[in-house]
Amino acid sequence: MTDTAETHDHDHRPPAPQVHEISDFEVLEIALRELAIEKGLFTAEDHRRYTEYFETLGPVPAARLVAKAWLDPDFKALALADGLAASREVGADWLEAPPTGFGTPSDFTAFVVLEDTPKLHHVIVCTLCSCYPRPILGNSPEWYRTPNYRRRIVRSPRAVLAEFGLIIPEDVEIRVEDSNSKNRFMVLPVRPAGTDGWSEDQLAEIVTRDCCIGVALPKPGVTSNAPRDVHPAVNPVPTH
Amino acid sequence: MSTDQDVATVTVPTLERIVEHGQVWPALTEKYGVANPTPPWKSSLDAMCDALDKEAKALPFLERRDDEDLLSQGVYESLPFPESQLVSLAHSFVARDLIDEEALAGRMKDVRARLEDQDVC
Repeated sequence: MTDTAETHDHDHRPPAPQVHEISDFEVLEIALRELAIEKGLFTAEDHRRYTEYFETLGPVPAARLVAKAWLDPDFKALALADGLAASREVGADWLEAPPTGFGTPSDFTAFVVLEDTPKLHHVIVCTLCSCYPRPILGNSPEWYRTPNYRRRIVRSPRAVLAEFGLIIPEDVEIRVEDSNSKNRFMVLPVRPAGTDGWSEDQLAEIVTRDCCIGVALPKPGVTSNAPRDVHPAVNPVPTH
Repeated sequence: MSTDQDVATVTVPTLERIVEHGQVWPALTEKYGVANPTPPWKSSLDAMCDALDKEAKALPFLERRDDEDLLSQGVYESLPFPESQLVSLAHSFVARDLIDEEALAGRMKDVRARLEDQDVC
């Protein structure tokens, strides 16, 4: 073996911080899972496959789909006509990838991309539970799952979007699309001004998860979701 | 929203103690300077929910979600997400007689001993 010209310059940065205690919640999750498996509620194999699948999910494929649609009219036409085919092109296979399989509650396969226009804004919800386009957008945020979002966005969409900091002008129609166990949606927002000449990577960077839900609009310079503290509704809808 | 049985009328002292102890992820990340937004067990919890939903008999999907909504807004209101999701699931299991609370407490003790033993090595 010959010596190379490179020196062995070890990086002596300290390791990233870690949590150095075992939390009750970590213990509870393991205990609950073990008891459930022993009781036959599900198998360890199924649990492993689903965990591995979950760890592959995130909002990047959705951002890519939007960026590609903005740049390529043919791809946009495909996305609007066949959401599943367009998803496959950005690496999200609704049919084959989810280990839960076709037609189960968690990952349905009737997927539609909703095109915003300057006069039409979409926002998605699942009023019954929290159905969400996980294979392409990852896990739903906590606020999406709350009954207060689910009940109120369909009753007062403009007001609820304003609570998210998104003011939709009165002359723009808001269409709330209710997801369910058979149908999942994501929003294709309008490409914002100030992005002429941008690459697909640059465009994808400003398409956040919240843009694909419809509670935010893509903006140059904004590459992450705004923090959303969950708090009790000021005027809650009564429980029914 | 309705559930077959009102799981909120059942108290689970084992879970109440966990809530009181307060080892929630935001507290731990602040204490140790960790930036990860979600605890490492979240994907495993989601997998558990998916596995239950697929099996669809022990705790059907809508019952599980209704329980989670009811409990997260009620008795476990003080917990952040996803701790509220995890504890609500455990509460559902106990309240619906899928697992016994004593067995859960005993298993938690064993799991902690196992993990702390590995930690020392």
